[in-house]
Order: sequence, then C-alpha cells, then structure tokens
Amino acid sequence: MSTALHLLNGGAGNLAAYLAAHVLLCLLPAFFIAGAMTALIPKAGITRWLGRNTSPHVSYPAAVAAGSLLAVCSCTIVPLFAGIYKKGAGLGPAITFLFFAPAGNILALAYTGSILGPEFAIARVILCIFFGVGIGLLMARLFWRDDASHDARTDALFAKDGRMGRAAIGLLLSLLAVLLAGTLKLAPLTATIATAELSAPWAETWQAILVQWVPFDAARGEEGVSVQGSLLILLLVLIGLAAWKGLENITEGPNRWTWLALALAAATLLTAALRLIPTGEGLQVALTGRVIAVGVALLACLHFARQLEAAGLHAWLWESWRFVKQIFPLLVVGVFAVGVIRQLIQPAWIQGLAGQNDLTANAVAVLFGVFMYFPTLVEVPVARMFLDLGMHPGPLMAYLMSDPELSLQSMLMVAAIIGRKKTAAYVALVAVFSMAAGMIYGAWVDGASLAWIGLGLFASAAVLVTMARLNGRRPRSARLKGEHA
Amino acid sequence: MKTVKILGPGCANCRKLEAIARDAAASAGIEAEFIKVTDMNDILAFDILSTPGLVVDDKVVSSGRIPTQAEVKEWLAA
Repeated sequence: MSTALHLLNGGAGNLAAYLAAHVLLCLLPAFFIAGAMTALIPKAGITRWLGRNTSPHVSYPAAVAAGSLLAVCSCTIVPLFAGIYKKGAGLGPAITFLFFAPAGNILALAYTGSILGPEFAIARVILCIFFGVGIGLLMARLFWRDDASHDARTDALFAKDGRMGRAAIGLLLSLLAVLLAGTLKLAPLTATIATAELSAPWAETWQAILVQWVPFDAARGEEGVSVQGSLLILLLVLIGLAAWKGLENITEGPNRWTWLALALAAATLLTAALRLIPTGEGLQVALTGRVIAVGVALLACLHFARQLEAAGLHAWLWESWRFVKQIFPLLVVGVFAVGVIRQLIQPAWIQGLAGQNDLTANAVAVLFGVFMYFPTLVEVPVARMFLDLGMHPGPLMAYLMSDPELSLQSMLMVAAIIGRKKTAAYVALVAVFSMAAGMIYGAWVDGASLAWIGLGLFASAAVLVTMARLNGRRPRSARLKGEHA
Repeated sequence: MKTVKILGPGCANCRKLEAIARDAAASAGIEAEFIKVTDMNDILAFDILSTPGLVVDDKVVSSGRIPTQAEVKEWLAA
C-alpha cells in the first residue's frame, strides 16, 4: 500500500514540478508557433518544390523544409507523404519528409532544447537532416524502378504557388522571439534589473507546504515546486478554462473569453519570466531582463496579429488550441507515468546497460525506441529521465532518433501506402542510421576531436552528394527507356 | 440533393469540419447526404495534400483548413 502511494506521489510530483518549471516559457509559445505554421504558411509555397520534375538538389531540401515547417501533426504528415510519393517527387523525398517530420519539426526541437539542453536540439536537427536525406536517397536508389514507373498523373497538385503575407511572417518571427527570449540562458536575459519586496507572510509557510506535498530528491534529478511554480500552475488552469469557452468555436469568430484566454497566456509568460523568492517575512520579486524581452516580443505579436485578416487570425488560434487539446493531455499522462516509473528503475541498471557510448548501448537504445510507443513529444521527458538516471548522451541520441520514426502505428500507416517490402527496408535503414547518429553524438560528447567529427560529417556529405548525382540520372534514363518501349 | 464528402482519417479537424458542414446544411435548409472518407488511399484519389478535405458533388472545395459555416453554405448553394 505504501509503495503504491509512494509511486503515485512520484508521478504527481514529477507532473507538478514539470508544469511549474519547464512547460510554460517553452511549450506555450511553441503551441502558438505550431498553430501559426499550420494555419498561416501556405503549403503550396513549399510543395511546389516537390513535384515530379524537380531536380533532387531542390526536392530533398524542400522535403526537409516541409518536414520542419508544415508537418507538426498527423493530419498533414500522412496525406503529404502519400502525395509526394504517389503524385510528386517520388519515394526518396517522401521518405526524407517522413523521417524529418516527427523529430525535426519546430515543436519537437524547441521542446528538446528546453528540456535536454540546446546542444541536444542542435545535434538532433543536424543529424536528422543528414540521415533523413541519406535514407531518402538510399531508398530512392534501392527502389528506383518503382519510382520510374509510378503513375504519370498530372503534376497540377504541385504546381500551385503560395505566398505568405507580411503580417503572417511578422507574427511567426515575433512568436519565435517570445520562445527564444523565454528559454535562452544568456546574460542580459538572466540579469536582475530591479527587485521589490512584497509583504507576504504566507509565502514562507506556503513554500514549506509545497515541499511537504511534493518532496524531492535533487540527487536523483528531481525538482520540487516553488511558490512561483504554484502560481503558474494556477494560471495554466485558468487559461484552460478560458480557452475552452473562448477558442472551441473560434472559427466562427472570437468572444470575450477568447481575449481573456490570450491575456492570461501573456500574463503567464510574463510571470514565468519574473523571479519570485520567498524571504523570511515577504516575497522578493526580481525584474529580470527576460521579463522585458518577453514583454517586447509579446507586443510585437499583438502588433502583427492585429494586421492579420480575420480568417487567418481565427485559423491560427484554432490550430494552436487544437494542438493544446491534442498534445497536452498526452504530455500530462506521459510525464506522470515517467514520474512513477522513475521510482522503480535503479540508476545502476541504466548505467550498466547504456552508460557507455558503445555499439551494444546504441543498439539497445534503438530497440527500446522501436518497441516503446510514446505519443508525440512524450519521448522528450522520457529521454530526460534516462539522462538523469545516467544514460550516456550517445545512446540517448540514438533513442531520440529512432523513437519518433519507428512505432508500430507509423509502420502500419507507411506500409499501407508504400507496401511491406519498402517499409521493411525503411525500418532497417532508420535503425542502422539511428545507431550511427548515436555513436557520432556520443563520440562528440566524449571529447573526440572536432576534426574527426567534421571529417565524418564531410565524408557523409560527399557520399550524399554523389548519390544525389547518380540518383538524378537513373530515373531519367529509365523514363527514356519507357518511352522507347 | 447534394453529396458532401468529408476527407480525413478521423482527426479532430475532420470531426469539426463534419459538424460545421452538417450545421450549415441544416440551417440553410439544404438536403445533403454526408459521407465520411477515412481510408487513406480513397482520400488520395482526390487531389489534396492535407486533411481535412471537403468535397461537394465530387468537387474539392477546401482542404487543409476548417472553413466557416457561411463558406460551406455558399458551396452547398452553388
């Protein structure tokens, strides 16, 4: 009985600490960014580079761009993947897109950066580009016959053009500024500009109660809930209530609750950027550079959002809210489960299995990624747990590369579109390349000289370019043959 | 009698689109048959790159976004 209580407490504590600390300055802007990308970036502006007659030098980078900018949700990933494969640039770019979308989209990267650290996010995006394009090229090479013969329907689907308005670009950049101002750990942002002392005799007591409710062991990488954190959780709940009434029917127009929800979201970001420290008899409020930066960026968002036409504004708010509804509950459950499981795993197991950056550790990490299915983004807090328990960053990267790509659900979906044989080849390639990515990143963390890493990446790039050349020729000659026959 | 198809594998936006389309038809007093197309290969028979898609009498009128009720009424009346 007490064990069960202990486990539940671990889960609840992890969830509370997580909501209070990490989520806000990263996830809140990230949801709005994802919404803006879905609603305001005209898909045609990118997909027109994915038609069947585009050169591989253009279509592969375009597939990466589509993966990072357009595909934050399965509503886009599956149809776009099938469309590129069946009616557009073919198998290679479709695979590159499929590989890049779940791990390299901006939501996943922002989240990785704020929870695991910017070096993880940067490495994740670089490795995803390299191996995404690499796997795409290899698949196109392996199955080029199939590509040459696929149905020669019209290219009209990919011929449309789309341009982003000035207001939409401004809004997207301002939202990115909110995200960066809120999460970067740089000097002018972290500096304290002014402090004020509020009389709040309850603060000290409240903090003591919080520690009692959510006991934590810093040595195990656990975090507690601060007074500020409890305030933020309260604000989150209020946003949720206001958004439910204000954003559920936003496509038909805003109401009073809409503005309340948005004002609360802004207030939450500003509160999270402050520093609140309980002292003996009061609460010290420190105004940081971050508050000013977030405030300015929020004003810029407001400025550009007001210039948007009504339909665009509504679509943006609806998509943002839809992401919250879709992803947030999964994150809550996932983080709770991570908190429970963490109590059961001995650090020694993880250190023994994946404490070193060797082939076995990377293979185990990839296998774990294949057999465990975590919903979108939950792989990040899971990775954080492994990191805290002593997993080496190399295998952890291998896990982060393979988990979003390879789950039973996505394999079935892909198999329905491209067939079992190609799916098997794709899965094998992703497994191998994820291990390679883990080894490379692990070597870098272990202090392998930059020259070696650079040489490795340069060699990969050379191989990729050569393959692109060969690949560019193949289908053309095949097409000629087809015409003669 | 109009035939309205909703293209989408069953995501949140597809359900939303269906609700809006049904409301639009009901409030405009237009008789329409609603068909949900959820199989990916059937969806791809139409020229769309992102769901949800709305098809009125075999013509794609919108895809990748949720139209307003007013828009749907116009398409149904056309």
